[in-house]
Parts: sequence; structure tokens; C-alpha cells
Amino acid sequence: MNQRELEDRLAQLEDKLITMERRSHNRISLQCEAEHAYEINRFLFEDVHARFVIATGIDSDNCFEVLYHYSYDQTGCVITVDAFIRDRVHPSIESIAPRIPGADWIEREMHDLLGIDFLHHPDMRRLILSDNWPEGVYPLRKDAVRLESRPDGDPEKRPLDQMKSPARRTINLSKPILPVGPFHPLQEEMEYFQLAVDGEIVTDIDMRISYNHRGIEKISESLQYDQVPFLVSRICGICSASHPLAYVQAVEEIAGVSPPERALYVRTIINELERIHSHVLWVGLAGHFIGYDTVFMWAWKYREPVLDLLEMITGNRNNYGNVRIGGCRSDIPNELKPQIVKAMDEIEKKIDMLTKAVLDDPILHARLKGIGVLTKADAIRYAVTGPTARASGIPIDVRRDDPYAAYDLLDWNVITQPEGDVFAKAVVRLLETIESIKIVKQAVKRMPDGPISVEVREIPPGEGYGRAEAPRGETFHYVRSDGGNRPVRHKMRAPSFVNVPSFKASCIGEHIADVTITLASVDPCYSCTERLAAVDGNSKITHDYAALLQLSRDETDRLRKVMGPRRMDGEEG
Amino acid sequence: MKKSPWVFHVNTGACNNCDIEILDLLAPKFDVERFGIKLVGSPRHADALLVTGVVTAQAAPRLREIYRQTAKPCVVFAIGACACDTGIFYSGYHVVGPVDKIIKEIDPNAIIAYVPGCPPKPEAMIAGVVKALSTL
Repeated sequence: MNQRELEDRLAQLEDKLITMERRSHNRISLQCEAEHAYEINRFLFEDVHARFVIATGIDSDNCFEVLYHYSYDQTGCVITVDAFIRDRVHPSIESIAPRIPGADWIEREMHDLLGIDFLHHPDMRRLILSDNWPEGVYPLRKDAVRLESRPDGDPEKRPLDQMKSPARRTINLSKPILPVGPFHPLQEEMEYFQLAVDGEIVTDIDMRISYNHRGIEKISESLQYDQVPFLVSRICGICSASHPLAYVQAVEEIAGVSPPERALYVRTIINELERIHSHVLWVGLAGHFIGYDTVFMWAWKYREPVLDLLEMITGNRNNYGNVRIGGCRSDIPNELKPQIVKAMDEIEKKIDMLTKAVLDDPILHARLKGIGVLTKADAIRYAVTGPTARASGIPIDVRRDDPYAAYDLLDWNVITQPEGDVFAKAVVRLLETIESIKIVKQAVKRMPDGPISVEVREIPPGEGYGRAEAPRGETFHYVRSDGGNRPVRHKMRAPSFVNVPSFKASCIGEHIADVTITLASVDPCYSCTERLAAVDGNSKITHDYAALLQLSRDETDRLRKVMGPRRMDGEEG
Repeated sequence: MKKSPWVFHVNTGACNNCDIEILDLLAPKFDVERFGIKLVGSPRHADALLVTGVVTAQAAPRLREIYRQTAKPCVVFAIGACACDTGIFYSGYHVVGPVDKIIKEIDPNAIIAYVPGCPPKPEAMIAGVVKALSTL
């Protein structure tokens, strides 16, 4: 379907809509009353086959709004369904999670933060706020008063009975439960998984997040437009170029500015350098998880020159703070170009070597093929993005579908693999790294001279969508402006927020020994997942992750013994 | 504390940046294991805690519990702007930190060292650890 046909198709919804607005060549907004939202969502997801991106809850003047954002990737179109909930006292709307599992978490989040009820939601437990957060306090409402004493998690105040806690388990407790987390030195971040096991086989998985929730969406409403990029680059340290870029693009869309061409190239280079160091980091961690510590050490060594380049360009190894509305803050000096090309040439050799080592290693084949499979159908249902989707045979990449920065001016390929297993995800990331190196080299060569930013004085009222392909998938930012100097609502969706829930599809039925690498295969990022707003309720510290890791490594050792010793080919060739 | 310090890493709501830089300390470029600084898997083995992040409401009780489990004396390193004073997230509704406030609630005499930066460079972390250990 091209854009024209898509619009004709959407016109079928006319009798259910208040208005249908065509904002630009690939932005469409549909407004409706809450009672029609379910049917419209069903139509978009099942008949039009649009990809569910996220939903935004807004506390408006005299109603609540729930905005469902969809992406129609064939034309790069963002379709937004804006549903009005008129009842401010008991706001409620029909849940779409039974049809679209990818909407499960976001509905729970809106329930936590805005107090909107989602009728017939399968699992309306607390997701994003802490166990001891008082009931009935909704921080994202505009009239939310600051709690005098913030819940500080005093053990004496915690509900004694775990089952009474809002975060109580759903897993059937009669089965053995294997707790994972929330602290372990190898899990950099806190997350708490409970695996229900039957012998060696995982039969169910439950996740509890909130440990990393900082309330960034609310903080963003209190900052000026130009300050927000510094906040959103701290959503996640590894995606600290993509988040501000997506935000800035959203605001530029409202203001109708286009940055000068050189700025587009600078943005491209910084974003691709970020992707290279992030993917290489993942390869290292994946090696570590299956007991190849050499890979960890190599990969992390090869990543360093990229960080050095970023430091030379932006002044910081991470958190670059380089994009601003209308362009960039600092330029890439032309004198640096040869140095960038040289570093790219060197890292290309190393990545080549790593790729060959992975593709040729029979133990890795035995260990990773057919493990943690996310089928294409599940990938669509859970609305996953990025390498997780591309490794399941879904060819989506915002850089190509809805081009931004200078990506449409350069030659590169979208890498996909059909299998959906851990091996496919590794292959996608490694080959993508090589594409990124290609992009950086071209961009450095073609970057024109000229200014790097234009001045933007005012942000008019309106709505804007910004998307960027972060290393882990699509980063989506929605900004609403009322003409003032701060956003009235700023919704951000990081890729892990949709990628992590897909564990429910990929982990069940796996051996316990394969769980660590399956969990790691989407490259989960919890600081992203919980951008806004472990141990179980008994505050017991568990270290079973270490045991799991050991199991994972033993499995590799066992295979190694079975298949005979094989040296990983030396790093210098 | 004269011998090799063993450290336990606690993330209490960081953006991941400080954590990756901590892991980077173990990778070949910085390789702090040369000096006997080792990341350990249990707070009970730790001489020092490396705490990153703002301390969210959900993480605070866990941080206290981890500190209780360490053998004393235990130095707490607040790594990064967030851990030192909650940084850019100071007004967040789910933020109850900074780290020193939470730790001092259960141990007013706790030894706390601060390594500011967003994120502090690995060199800064090494310098911070050396400076703190040489004054103890």
C-alpha cells in the first residue's frame, strides 16, 4: 500500500471519528471518542497491519486523552489515534492488550501514572511505581502535588504479606520459582525475573521493573525546550545520541525548521559511532554470558578507539549533548576526518575477524542456533523493533523507512535474518556494525562545509513526532506544545520497552541454561525501559543469576568437550 | 585498608553510563585487576561498594539491605553526579536519594567517597579510589 491507498483505507473509519487530520505527507492524526478506540485500534493493527509503537496518556484541560501511535513502515507514516475520555472522575477505556500484547506494559504504565482504568486488561498489576507508592497518587496528572515525604521504601512500612502488595506475583506459586536478580555484578542494571520451572524447562516468566524509574517524563515538563536534550540523553547512557536526536526532531517538526546539511551529517556520524560501540559492547557481553571471556575482553578493547573519537568530537565519552533544536552544538573539525577514517579502517578489520570467528565456530552454532526463538508472528504481536525485529525477518529500520539526518543521502543496507534465534541476532548486530562503519566513512567523505545550526526563536503550539533508530531499535518521542517555552507533554518510548516483554514469547520452553543468553539477546536496557517515573517484596537478595550464568557456561564447556577442543582463532589473525 | 580492595557494584537507578564505565575499568585498556581491585559477586565479600544512580523509591530498601550485608568497615563510593547529589533528576517524584542520605539513615558513621562526573571518566574513578584509600 502506498501513502495514498493508506489514506483511502483509513477513510473507511470515518463514521467512528471526530476528525481525520493529515498533518504532513506522512503524519496522520485520527480523533475519536473513547468508546470507538478499541475498534479503530483493532482495524489499524489487524487490517491495515500497522505496527503498534506506543501509547501516550495525557491529562488535558477537561478530559483525559490516550494517544495510540502506530507506524506504517512501508511509507514511514506515523498514525495517531487520539481518544478522548470525558469522565475525569473515573477515567476508563477498553484495553487493547488482549489483542496487541505489545500494549500490555504501556497500559499498566498509564494506569500507574495517570490512574486511567483499562477495562478487561489481562494483568493490571503495578509496573512502574515502587511497591510502597501510595494508592491513588498519580504523578503524571497536572494537579499532582508533590508528596511531602516521598515514599522512601522503609522496610517497616512495606506490606508484610507479599500477596497483598500491588506487585504480587501472577506465576503459579506451586511450581518451583527461580528468582533472577535484581542485583548481580553482571547484570549491570536492576531487574527482577521470576522463572517458573518444570525440571530444566522454563514454563513461565514474570518480570518486575521500577528499580530504575526516575520520572523523566514529568521532569521534562519542567524544563525549557533547549534544556530537555540534556535530560533525555541521560535516559540511557548507551543511547545518549539517539534519544536527544529523536526529541529534537519532534520539536523541529512542530517548529517547521530544517537544520543545515552539515548538521545532518554530524548527527549521522555521531549516531553511527554510537551504534558501533554499542553493538561491539553487546558482542562482548554475549561472549561473556556463554563463557567466552576472551571475546568480552577483545570486544571491549576494540570499542575504546570509538569512544576516543566521540570524546574528540563532542568532549565526552558518553552523553554527548551535541544536538540542539535547529542543528548541532559543536562541529566535527575537518582536520579530524583522516583520523576518523583511519580508526574506522582499523575497527573494520577487527569486526571482520570477530564476525568470521562467530560464523565459523561450531560450538557457537551448537550453542546459539535454535535458542530463544522469537517467531515473526510473535515479533509482530509484541511490536518489537530494531535488531530484535530484524533477526526475526521483519525488515524495519527507521533510518530507511522514515529517513532523518543524512541517511537517505548515503548507501547502506538493512540487515535481516529470518530465524529469530540468538544466533540470528548476533549475526544481525555484527553485520550492522560493518554497515555503520560504511556509513561513517561515506558521511565523513561527503560532509559539505557550511553552518551547523539555524536559530529557532519560538516553538508554536502543535504536536510533533521524532523517531531515530537507536542501537536497540526505534526510539520514539512525542512532544506537545502549547506555544510556551516548555513541553506540555513529552512522551518517550525506548526500544527496550517493547523488546523486553517479548521474553514471554522467547524464553518459555527453553532450558534454564539457555535463559541468560536469551535474555541478553535483545540487549535489554532497563534505564531506557523505566525512563519515567530488586529483590522481591521480602527484600531478600538473591544471587541465582550467578548460578544461571554458571549453568550457561557449563553447557558451553560440555559442548566443547563433546565437539573436541577448538581454539578461537587468534586476534591478530 | 592496605591490601587489594574488592568491590561490589550496585546500580540504584543510573542511566547505565557509569555502570559501563565501571565495567570498562576491568577491560584491557584500564585493567584495574592489575592493582588487585576486583569486582565480586556478593556484598559479603566486598570492602567497598560502588554505587551508581539516583536511588529510586524501589531501589532504596535494596541498597540499605546490601549495605547491611557488607563486612565493616566498608567504604561507599558514590560514582557519578546522580549518586553524589541526584544530578539532573533531583526533582523526580520517584527519586529518594542521594546515596549518602540513604546510607547514613542506617549508619551515620558510614565512610562515603564521592566521584563526581557525568559519567566520570575511568581515569577519574581510579583517581577517586586511590585518593580515598590513601586517606583511610
